[in-house]
Amino acid sequence: MKRAKHIKLNRQGILWVVAALSISMLPQLAAMPAHLIPITLLPIVWRLLAEFRDWKPMPMVLRVLATGFAVAALVITYGGLMGRSAAVSMLALMLSLKLLETFRIRDARIVVSLSLFLCGTQFLFSQGVPMIIYITACVLSSLLALMYLHRGEAYGNLGKAPDNDRGILTELGFGVRLVALAFPIGLVLFLLFPRWSSPLWGIPEDALDARSGLSDSMTPGSIQSLFMDDSPAFRATFEGVIPSHGQLYWRGPVFWDFDGSTWQVSFLSRNLMADTKPDPGRAPLRYEVQMEPTEQRWLFALDYPALVPRRTRLTMDYQILSRRPVTQLFTYAMASNPNFQDTPQLRQTLLRAALELPQGFNPRTAEMMAEWRTEANSDTEIIQRTLAHFNREEFSYTLNPPLLSRHTVDEFLFDTRAGFCEHYASAFTVMMRMAGIPARVVTGYQGGYYNNIGSYVLVRQSDAHAWSEVWVRGSGWTRIDPTAAVAPERVEQGAVDSLAQRRHLFDFEWLRNVRNTFDLFQRGWNNWVVAFGADSQSRLLSIFGWDVLNSTKLVIVMIATIAFVGAITFLLAPLLLKFRSPRKQDPVLRAWQKFNRKLARAGFVSSPSMGPLELAECAGGQLKYKDDAIHRIAELYTLCRYSQADGDALKLAELVNGFKPEPAVR
Amino acid sequence: MTEISLQETSLKNDRFERLQDAVNMVNQIIMGKEAQVKLAFSSLLARGHLLIEDLPGVGKTTLAHALAAVIGVRYQRIQFTSDLLPADILGVSIYRQDQKKFEFHPGPIFAELVLADEINRATPKSQSALLEAMAEGQVTIEGETYPLPKPFFVIATQNPLDLVGTFPLPDSQLDRFLLSISLDFPEPEVERELLTAQDRVLMLEDTKPVISPADVIKLHADCQQIHVSDALLDYVQALLAETRSSRWFETGLSPRAGIAMLHCCKAFAFLEGRDYAIPEDVKAIFPSLARHRMTVPHGMETSVMEQITGLLNQVAIP
Repeated sequence: MKRAKHIKLNRQGILWVVAALSISMLPQLAAMPAHLIPITLLPIVWRLLAEFRDWKPMPMVLRVLATGFAVAALVITYGGLMGRSAAVSMLALMLSLKLLETFRIRDARIVVSLSLFLCGTQFLFSQGVPMIIYITACVLSSLLALMYLHRGEAYGNLGKAPDNDRGILTELGFGVRLVALAFPIGLVLFLLFPRWSSPLWGIPEDALDARSGLSDSMTPGSIQSLFMDDSPAFRATFEGVIPSHGQLYWRGPVFWDFDGSTWQVSFLSRNLMADTKPDPGRAPLRYEVQMEPTEQRWLFALDYPALVPRRTRLTMDYQILSRRPVTQLFTYAMASNPNFQDTPQLRQTLLRAALELPQGFNPRTAEMMAEWRTEANSDTEIIQRTLAHFNREEFSYTLNPPLLSRHTVDEFLFDTRAGFCEHYASAFTVMMRMAGIPARVVTGYQGGYYNNIGSYVLVRQSDAHAWSEVWVRGSGWTRIDPTAAVAPERVEQGAVDSLAQRRHLFDFEWLRNVRNTFDLFQRGWNNWVVAFGADSQSRLLSIFGWDVLNSTKLVIVMIATIAFVGAITFLLAPLLLKFRSPRKQDPVLRAWQKFNRKLARAGFVSSPSMGPLELAECAGGQLKYKDDAIHRIAELYTLCRYSQADGDALKLAELVNGFKPEPAVR
Repeated sequence: MTEISLQETSLKNDRFERLQDAVNMVNQIIMGKEAQVKLAFSSLLARGHLLIEDLPGVGKTTLAHALAAVIGVRYQRIQFTSDLLPADILGVSIYRQDQKKFEFHPGPIFAELVLADEINRATPKSQSALLEAMAEGQVTIEGETYPLPKPFFVIATQNPLDLVGTFPLPDSQLDRFLLSISLDFPEPEVERELLTAQDRVLMLEDTKPVISPADVIKLHADCQQIHVSDALLDYVQALLAETRSSRWFETGLSPRAGIAMLHCCKAFAFLEGRDYAIPEDVKAIFPSLARHRMTVPHGMETSVMEQITGLLNQVAIP
């Protein structure tokens, strides 16, 4: 085969290449350290100047020096070239440097192809739906550039100038048709290529869009900050009954240690495992949780979890802790039994831990609780009295509580009387401990949005909640939600809907509903693309009856499917790629072409060089029985097409449609 | 709408009817040559001059006579011979002894219709005297400029080039003629009628003019009103471009020829009674327009007319 000539890149070509590269590079530019940005942009600027000022290509020595400088800058910045950020930055920088020597179509094509790869690397950083939209834009711009380059090359090999008079939409349409042809094969590769057990995209590093969510400590205000965040925390798909909104307490970090302002996870609760857990066989709630990455170890479950997912452990206060932080989409099956009795016998060490309070804090509360203690006969009575206190006195549930200083509980109970769930949980737990009742703070999520279409519960960061548990002899740890005593609608409706005020400027209820419904797509994307691993693959294949396939068999199936799909694509390609002439848009011409086709079917083949009246004369001579109709159509056509008067195109179309010659006998 | 109705009235007016009468009358004198007569009239209406290339005796002169007779214009005939001088065409200034000054005696060219017979028998010098007058519409002699009458229409006849004693016209001069036609021998039945019917010369004497020179000038303006659509211009351009591709002719048609084609096409459409031109008009005039402007490339064994037919069949109508 003759080697293709090296065709020079013209101005339009270089502009296309720069545009495609810049679009693909944008997020990388935003993410890289500031001093690397000018280094990355410089070659692009040089190349554009070279184009407009007719500079010669840069000498080899300078290019090598520039590359060396760039690598040095990368090594100094990242301390090496390994690692995700460094590697992607290097790709962006080298692509930009490649422009220095891009003066031919061959080089330009490499740049555009690699900029497609560059935008693919963005999946390493973010896998959300907005990313898809952005990547689509990248792909389209690169596609346009590639088509332009290929046409330039094809015409260049013939020694001609390409005809680039097509509109951008026509161009794009053609590109999309090309992609449509490639799509089935891509889909087969995606679905059938042997998978690792973990999803392809998951990279155990600092995934940028991991929301930390709940953390290992709680101060007044920490949950409140989550409340502003509408990003999803996890989704739960129930088998069978879905508990009512008020029952959905998703258990997360449990706090024992209080230093006067901050609640913290205790050493004991982290390291003591649960002695007993509910019998999974008899747990009434069964569901699957798909968790967004959090960079934390907690998994969330309804009270009380009966299953322990792989690589996790269940602590004695029924937190599920993963061995590694959750850095990628994580799906686990879960069962819960809400009627389980938690720790009927409390050990001495734990009892002490559940009663411990720092010295010298909150004297007023201590005084009140001592008084209540003497007046009460049982623990239950004190609990009831406290809740009644919250309910009856002028406590309010608000998003903007006043700031508290040293004696947080005192100030809250007697002065400010306005707070968010963590204020109530914290104050209640402290009050219980002061009255000698073992108590702890539990954080997690309360409620969630039930998506009707997808039949799953979506829990957002804004559903974060804090409540208390008290240990009562005989019945064990019991959940008490003091917030419910102040604002029952918080538990019944959810945190966001229970507030009268808007959280921010764009916080409208209808908008939230739209978002909740649209979460369906996010979930589908998660299920079918981001979290598509070996499990999902074998589940998909089992539909077709291939239960367990090893890699070799999978590859055979894959190749066979590609051959089949490829053959169909090959047959369909000419149909899909035929360029439609824009002239056909003219109704007069369209009618005339239709008329010509009808004549051809009737056995009269017209020549393109025939004028309409000439054609009518010949056709009328051949198809005598239609002579009149043919002449009428031809005359109306000449009138429509050549005269100044606006001919009646509709009438022409009507005449043509009514023209029904007998098909030719062969 | 008003514009269209105006157009229609101008077509339906009696000037147009008299033009049709004139065409019919010429057709009665020159029998069986409707196409050529129509082309001759197109050339007249498009303000172009006509070249008739044919053997002697097929009716070239009669056609010119007939045109002159129906239009009612002054008619002059110049027989070109090898000793014809420019002054014999244009006229001379003669010194009048009695008045002691020069007096200009206009030559035969000062007539509305001039028949230049056997133009290629004269020397190039005399040929160019005629052709320059045709191009400029005026004659300059000894510093004095004398305008030619309006309308001014030249019919030149030319013997086939291979005859002995001819000076072929150069391409640039040929370009001055809008159309060139040939009359050919008549069909047998027509010829029988020619032989039996009245003498043509007597018929011409009996013919009364139906249109006046003033009418011709108005008809010129009428033809300019004919509508030419973009689609038709596309076709004209496609034809021009095709003539310039090397496979058909030595050289292609010039832009001037393109403009002439459009004028002529309008005139032809007007004669057909349409107020817009269609591709058939272009195809009808194109051979006459192209054949005297074109030469077949060296080494090709075809005639110009064959090439023109091939080209017309090649170019698709957009």
